[in-house]
Amino acid sequence: MLISYRWLQRHVDLAGITPREVAEDLTIHTAEVEGLARFAPWLDDVVVGRVVAHGRHPDADRLSVNRVDVGGGECLSIVCGAPNVGQGQTVAVARAGTMLPTGEDGSLVKLKKGRVRGQESQGMICSVRELQLGDEHAGIWVLDTAAPLGTPIARALGLEDWVVEIDNKSLTNRPDLWGHRGIAGEIAAIHGRPLRPLEFALPAADSPAHYPVRVETASCFRYLGLPIDGVANGPSPDWLRVLLLAVGQRPIDLLVDLSNFVMLDLGQPNHLFDRDRLSPAGIEVRDARPGETMATLDGIERRFSSADMLICSGGAPVAIAGVMGGEAARVEASTTRLLLEVASFHPTTVRRTSARLGLRTDASTRFEKYLDPTLPALAAAHLVAILRAIQPQVAFPQALGDAGDWTDPSRTIDLRPDRVREVLGAAIPDAEIARILASLGFGVARGALWRIEVPAARATKDIAIEEDLIEEVGRMYGYGRLPVQRIRADVEPPPREHRRLLVRRLEDRLSGAARFHQAMTHSFQSDALLAALRLASLPHVEVVNPVVAGYSKVRRSIVPSLLGVLAENRRHRAEIRLYEIGKGYLPEGTDERGQPGERHEIGLVWAAPRLDPGAHFDAPCFARLRGVVEDLVAHAGAEAPRWRRTAPGEAPPWAHPGKTVLAESPGSAGPLALVGELEPGLHGAIGLAGELDCQVAAGLVSIDLLLAHPRRAGAYRPLPRFPGVKLDVALALPVDVPAGDAAAAIEAAGKGLVQAIELFDVYRGETLGAGRKSLAYHVLLQSPERTLTDADAARFLARLERGAAELGGELRRD
Amino acid sequence: MLSPEAESLHREAREAIAACAGEDALAAVERAYLGKNGAVGRMLAAIKDVPPAERPRRGQEANALKERIGTALAARRAELEAARLERERRAVDFDPSLPGRPLLAGSLHPVTQVTRELEDIFASMGYSILDGPEVELDYYNFAALNIPADHPAREMFDTFWCDRDEHLLLRTHTSPVQMRALERLTPPFRAIVPGRCFRNETVDASHEHTFHQMEGLVVGEGITLGHLIGTMKTFLRELFQREPEVRLRPGYFPFVEPGLELDARCPFCTAGCSVCKGSTWIELCPCGMVHPTVLRYGHVDPARYTGFAFGLGLSRLVMLRFGIDDIRHLMSGDLRFLEQF
Repeated sequence: MLISYRWLQRHVDLAGITPREVAEDLTIHTAEVEGLARFAPWLDDVVVGRVVAHGRHPDADRLSVNRVDVGGGECLSIVCGAPNVGQGQTVAVARAGTMLPTGEDGSLVKLKKGRVRGQESQGMICSVRELQLGDEHAGIWVLDTAAPLGTPIARALGLEDWVVEIDNKSLTNRPDLWGHRGIAGEIAAIHGRPLRPLEFALPAADSPAHYPVRVETASCFRYLGLPIDGVANGPSPDWLRVLLLAVGQRPIDLLVDLSNFVMLDLGQPNHLFDRDRLSPAGIEVRDARPGETMATLDGIERRFSSADMLICSGGAPVAIAGVMGGEAARVEASTTRLLLEVASFHPTTVRRTSARLGLRTDASTRFEKYLDPTLPALAAAHLVAILRAIQPQVAFPQALGDAGDWTDPSRTIDLRPDRVREVLGAAIPDAEIARILASLGFGVARGALWRIEVPAARATKDIAIEEDLIEEVGRMYGYGRLPVQRIRADVEPPPREHRRLLVRRLEDRLSGAARFHQAMTHSFQSDALLAALRLASLPHVEVVNPVVAGYSKVRRSIVPSLLGVLAENRRHRAEIRLYEIGKGYLPEGTDERGQPGERHEIGLVWAAPRLDPGAHFDAPCFARLRGVVEDLVAHAGAEAPRWRRTAPGEAPPWAHPGKTVLAESPGSAGPLALVGELEPGLHGAIGLAGELDCQVAAGLVSIDLLLAHPRRAGAYRPLPRFPGVKLDVALALPVDVPAGDAAAAIEAAGKGLVQAIELFDVYRGETLGAGRKSLAYHVLLQSPERTLTDADAARFLARLERGAAELGGELRRD
Repeated sequence: MLSPEAESLHREAREAIAACAGEDALAAVERAYLGKNGAVGRMLAAIKDVPPAERPRRGQEANALKERIGTALAARRAELEAARLERERRAVDFDPSLPGRPLLAGSLHPVTQVTRELEDIFASMGYSILDGPEVELDYYNFAALNIPADHPAREMFDTFWCDRDEHLLLRTHTSPVQMRALERLTPPFRAIVPGRCFRNETVDASHEHTFHQMEGLVVGEGITLGHLIGTMKTFLRELFQREPEVRLRPGYFPFVEPGLELDARCPFCTAGCSVCKGSTWIELCPCGMVHPTVLRYGHVDPARYTGFAFGLGLSRLVMLRFGIDDIRHLMSGDLRFLEQF
């Protein structure tokens, strides 16, 4: 909301308080100020000038060449296209170099010196529109001022102003601050100055009969209707136009401007109807009938539901209550007979209608804050007073119609001054508390328990309990003045959060030893990505109002998000090692309160250029990622799980159905960890085609299951006291024998003597025969009791030979 | 005294040793004289052929010869080793201007780094670190926080709704964990909640629909607004390692009363810049005293207990800490960004 410094002065004397101080005071005591700007700053550079010579342009019929005196002995030669320029006129002159709002959307453009059809022009004689002071552009603006030549027109015409922009959100709880009067009240309270009184009497009507108004819905608290006759619509007086311009409102005509002025002044929306277009039966306020339609002022046909509230006349809607007037009974230039509407509507009804129609207006924004129902009478009197000052001839044929079921919200709240001091933690004296509350318009009755009268304007919403009054004292006293306190408490460590400790440990391992980079990606996964990864048919939590269409699904798992950023990263990096720790949501796991199932997991991807054929390992990214995941599980202190290849249909759709392994935790659903190569058909689908093509392995570790997995016993083993025997053994086995079985066979053959096993080579080739592989291991045999001999090694090899045979293979002897 | 034969053998050996240029040659000389079948060995073997009276003298002579040749060998070895080391020291083909081989390191996301820093500061002051769901019930995100259905304050939050009934949503702040904490913990307690939040905003350099916050909640007897201010100043002093310049002003959040905004002086400028939008202040932390209605929802007696809450803009702090000028990088998963941390 924009607040004009000049406008505030209509309500409070601001002598000695600069616009900057107003902005700072409001920031510290009232609401968030987003900016402070000079109103129309170019008016400080455009000056009063006089046309001292005027002649035809020698080469252009429609142009004139003028000499314009801008004071200080300076005379400018200006070529002008306006038809109304004449010698002796006082005009608004912009010198070349002045920034003027003549660009698109009023942006500032530097006025250039130039030659127009061969004649030099050193500036511009401005029209009203060129100065953004109105729409008139038929000719230049001829000024009526006695100010000396060269005076900036902002000063000469009294247009100097500053505009404070206040963040609307910070006024959500203050229906009383949606006009200049309310803001002026805050400044008055801060500086201990009085507010100027407002006119508060309607003139007597010609007839004592009240204008007929019927309220037929509980959504309308109060409806005032006042007929006004003899109005001559036309342009508004300058003072009104300038104030509206300052707060960003385009002046239209007297009636529209007046209505806007009262809203921006008192915060009370109101509406003027052309009474000739209303039924003589008057106004009824009622809920809409389902399917009922009406064209609003913006020319759009609107369809209503029974939750909407309409202002009707003769049965037909003429306005949407609290939102926007109708096209049919709008005031025009020719309107002479008015109906002034000032009302008080239910905030929720207005909010819902406005939201449903996507029609947020200055009026609806104010009504949904819950306006004071005593305010309409004041606003009606205020509007009438200003109208009569401008057009004394207006007449009031009937008395004010005033209908509705409403109560004055003013109330009394108990306040304990000790509680004020307790909550704020400051020794603010009673007298200071009383002074602050009184300055804000609260009635203060001191006693053992203070009785605080809350005025109607504050009582609809904001001030309901003692804490609300404490806030009033705190903010006006100044939060910055409150003494700093330290919490005193029993010293005790906070409970350990095992999940967070585990996550930290795993992050450190991944970003440290494993050399992975931690990513964070959006919780949304695009329809395109999910379709590419063949995940679109899975149930997803979905937002109904996504930022962009096709970006509404909340992820179930982290892995697809990481696969989704691979292609872009591959443009810049050959090798990609990324992980993310985050949450996925499963609609099928929704609990009885409606909360979807949650899973907390680590997603990992490892991508690298494809290896040359014949390279040593056949899937290095896969194997390395598996190594990382195995290490993570061990590093978490979990017992080593058993790994197995996924059963048909068990691998996630993004994973290679034959090259995916998983580890399970006893008794839990879903894998503790899973590692797979990317399904070979998906590289192109996620953008890894052509130069970006690469090998990709991806995996996940469930934080939830890892926390529940059995712990591994102490990690320490005593150091060996006797030398061991190192052996290299190779087992030729059918390819489908898991490497874990081979390691188990070695373990068994050692009869407790195997201290370390390391797989160092995997080989498949013709010499082995089809369907066979060779796994070669470094094995360390060691005893805690004695030095092993060649005989021990021979017995181990003999047992391993039998073990290999049991697996359908043999111990290789080369 | 050596016999002339022995003396000649000794001289011969010394010449051979002096002529050696390396260990291989030395080893050969050693074998030729001191080996099993070497010259000295043969001398010893010949002793049995001389008359017994002469044997001791011949034996001593052979041993003396062995010792002298051994000493000469050792000396030559040391000499050669010294020469080799000296060559190694001098013969350096070394460019001191070349950088070291880069360490292939991983990285922690900047949000994680700052989150940990804050967690450590608050944990050291006795705060528990809590967690809560990102897909949240309206009850926790709004209703229990004194924002009932149709409250105009809902407009402030630009909520992503997960259903048309406005029952399930993506949490718009970490504040729902306030209520979860009140349900779970018994006052007095102190807790923080770092986490991911969502607002339906168009994304640009300074707006993201997904961002990180850190909620704080302290409930106890006699907790005052002064405690809140003291806590925030302490925390900022720890974070920035200097006395913070802060500004406190009113702010409206239905779940606190009084409600405040805490601003910190812009670290990038003294006269206004694009980061602080010309104000020299940066909005850091909405905060306030927990609204009695919220305490009641959490089954805590507001007559006995008071509390304060705050909501630190974590993403904002991360950007300030590292001078990041575009919020979109945080959630981009772009290695060129992540590698920098």
